[in-house]
Amino acid sequence: MMIHSRITYFSAILMLSLSFAACSNSTSPDEQDNSDRSEMLNNYGNNIILPAFEEIQTAVKELQVAAQDFENERTLEQLENLQVALKDARIAWQDVSPFQFGPAESILLRSSINTYPVDDNEINDNISSGDYSFGGIDNQDIAGLPTLGYLLHGVGESNEEILAMYTTDAEAENRMTYLLDNITFVKDKIDTATSEWQSSGGDYIGMFLSQENAGTDAGSSLGMLINHYVRHYERFLRDGKIGIPAGVRSAGNPRPKAVEAYYGGYSVELAIANLNQIEQIFAGAGGKGLDDNLVSINNRVDFDTEELTSDIKSQIGDAQSALEQLSDPLSQQIENNNEAVLTSFEELHALVSMLKADMTSALGITITYQDNDGD
Amino acid sequence: MIPESVKKYITPQVSIAPLAVFRFLFGFIMLVSIIRFTLKGWIYELYVEPDYFFTYYGFDWVTPLGETGMYLLFFVMGLAALSVMLGYYYRFGIILFFLCFTYVELIDKTNYLNHYYFVSIISFLLMWVPAHHSFSLDVLRKPSLRKEYVPAWTVNIFKLQLGLVYFFAGAAKLNPDWLVNAMPMRIWLPANADLPIIGPLLEYTSTAYIFSWAGAVYDLTIAFFLLWKPTRIFAYITVIIFHMMTYFLFQIGMFPFIMILCTLIFFSADFHQKIIGAISGLRKLLPFSVPNSEPTPKKSEEFQLSKNSTNVIGGILIIHFILQLLVPLRFALYPGHLFWTEQGYRFSWRVMLMEKAGHITFNVTDPATDRQWQVRNYKYLTPNQEKMMSTQPDMILQFAHYLEDEYQKQGINDIKITAESYVTLNGRRSQPMINSDVDLTNQDRGFTHKDWILPFNENQQNWFRSLQ
Repeated sequence: MMIHSRITYFSAILMLSLSFAACSNSTSPDEQDNSDRSEMLNNYGNNIILPAFEEIQTAVKELQVAAQDFENERTLEQLENLQVALKDARIAWQDVSPFQFGPAESILLRSSINTYPVDDNEINDNISSGDYSFGGIDNQDIAGLPTLGYLLHGVGESNEEILAMYTTDAEAENRMTYLLDNITFVKDKIDTATSEWQSSGGDYIGMFLSQENAGTDAGSSLGMLINHYVRHYERFLRDGKIGIPAGVRSAGNPRPKAVEAYYGGYSVELAIANLNQIEQIFAGAGGKGLDDNLVSINNRVDFDTEELTSDIKSQIGDAQSALEQLSDPLSQQIENNNEAVLTSFEELHALVSMLKADMTSALGITITYQDNDGD
Repeated sequence: MIPESVKKYITPQVSIAPLAVFRFLFGFIMLVSIIRFTLKGWIYELYVEPDYFFTYYGFDWVTPLGETGMYLLFFVMGLAALSVMLGYYYRFGIILFFLCFTYVELIDKTNYLNHYYFVSIISFLLMWVPAHHSFSLDVLRKPSLRKEYVPAWTVNIFKLQLGLVYFFAGAAKLNPDWLVNAMPMRIWLPANADLPIIGPLLEYTSTAYIFSWAGAVYDLTIAFFLLWKPTRIFAYITVIIFHMMTYFLFQIGMFPFIMILCTLIFFSADFHQKIIGAISGLRKLLPFSVPNSEPTPKKSEEFQLSKNSTNVIGGILIIHFILQLLVPLRFALYPGHLFWTEQGYRFSWRVMLMEKAGHITFNVTDPATDRQWQVRNYKYLTPNQEKMMSTQPDMILQFAHYLEDEYQKQGINDIKITAESYVTLNGRRSQPMINSDVDLTNQDRGFTHKDWILPFNENQQNWFRSLQ
């Protein structure tokens, strides 16, 4: 009896250790999965994230050049060039905004350069007094891309009026300085984040692709990527760009001034660009992406992951069509026909549970960027 | 009154060594845990930063003490753990530790872990036993405290408690998802495929089955193999292998180490004497001298409780263990699928059993204006709180009531709050969990069945019931 149970027990332990070896011959694994995941991370790091940062770096550099040209030659043509350069930078930002982890997170990139709506009264006070600083937690609404939008589109009714604010207005020089300072501030932030990512700089890409961060826990590369992807989608695209201005979050009272690019009037365009990037990230932009990863784990969960993948893609498609029904300026659309805006909110909203619950659960990713113990 | 076969585990005098070592190691690992918790910044993240806390029903009076208060509380808890470890004013130290630790755990059920509950229980049991009468500073301070023998129950209650934890954890694994589907191992293991050496093996579905079945067998049998001398050493090696595996594969914190140290209580008095010798030997390494002359033990030096104390402590422990047997089984009183409703899930040693994720949206309607809007959960909750709430109905209800209060403060009375929730359980597609027609503000908190939880389509009955 005694010997018998001892043997039984031993065999339990042996089963545990030996069967690893045994099963390598007997069952076929989905071998590619692990290499799939590193291939996917590699694709994200090298083909999507890094180029997105380099793209906005270039755009902001051109923005600065356009601003200097405008300073030297204050004409309508230079103003319009500068307005175009700003729009290019804001569109480039849409590709970077889902990646607010790592260097971007530690320098508070998003809140520093893209907090809206802006506080136009304080901006004007700052211009008058010439006494201001950028980059503090309390003064994010007087700096960055939205502030540039106000300075280049909101200080006059027409471009002639705006130009006058930089030529004949009493505070023309102060205003020009504030504009240039703001561009320098944005450029510094973008340069820092970009160089931190580059292997020639802080080499965050090296850490992002390293073996020790290849897992799926809260601090792993994939864990961070997906957490911030979902968080961005939920808070900054669905809510920030559409839901909040439409009044979904403010007791049903629309807040048209809360749209992104209120003064520039191209909010819908930015939202569509951002949603396209959400789609690109899911699909891996031509390379291995979350879609491939989901499909490759089909045997691990009790539903058809191909079906989930196509459901996600078709829901993104529905949201895109809904956004395309909207017209810029979004603030006017909200005032005139908010129903369409609310419909596009619903379409965006329908994707959240698929990304946040189904996708992350199937991939074994925990949704929380807080490190904690489990049991 | 008590049969002899039971009495032999209670009254005989046995060596105090296992109990003293248990006290020392528990105090030590608690001290390490508290330092780790502090260094990770979790005091701030979990108890200072949040605006709202999910209290336990009936414990709404437990609120955090503010930033300074919380840091101070953890400092005191650390000192108490040290006092337990060294056996310095032990009785005071262990009571203080139990109160501090349990208080912290009661602040927010977001942070509920079976492991924390386990720590509370062990420190509760430690309050009633003379664990400081040997191998302690109390004995150096007051040599008359020195005892060589203690009643057997003071050691055996810990074996019983550990046995219950393992056994219930094993019984909880006897469910179709775990045994037939190898869930959630089938999802969790491949997520660790980047680990060196064993990583690639984790990709195989068969590995998930082996882990699931071996885990169930381990939990159900380990206490028995630890109790029985011939198998003890092999069982303990398995304890180490099992818990270290969980340490490397899952984000499970200090728990593996706590269990590896606590299960040493199953070993003999001689073995514990050697541990005491080894640890005492370490003090020679200290840069200052520590007196090492614990009085030589005599056979007569037994620890005896007065008759009154025996009755009181006996009564408390009997009630404790009756509750320990019943509380994990209370789920059987609720209809529906336990993993889905989580009615009776906590405090029942259901460890690492579910991969559950969800997303919940609260829709608010103001009847006065007929306006409708949605709540930004993240405005009120930390990511972790939001995540835990989205899959646990009692927390969803609690948050709805909190929102009602918040809107009332803004002068919006009599609002209607409904919830639209999608939850995935163990690798299935998400499905709605909360009846979205129900106004949650009209639902009461409490232990009764929550009929506004939608049924889980598959496997409606809980496992316990389907056996009947």
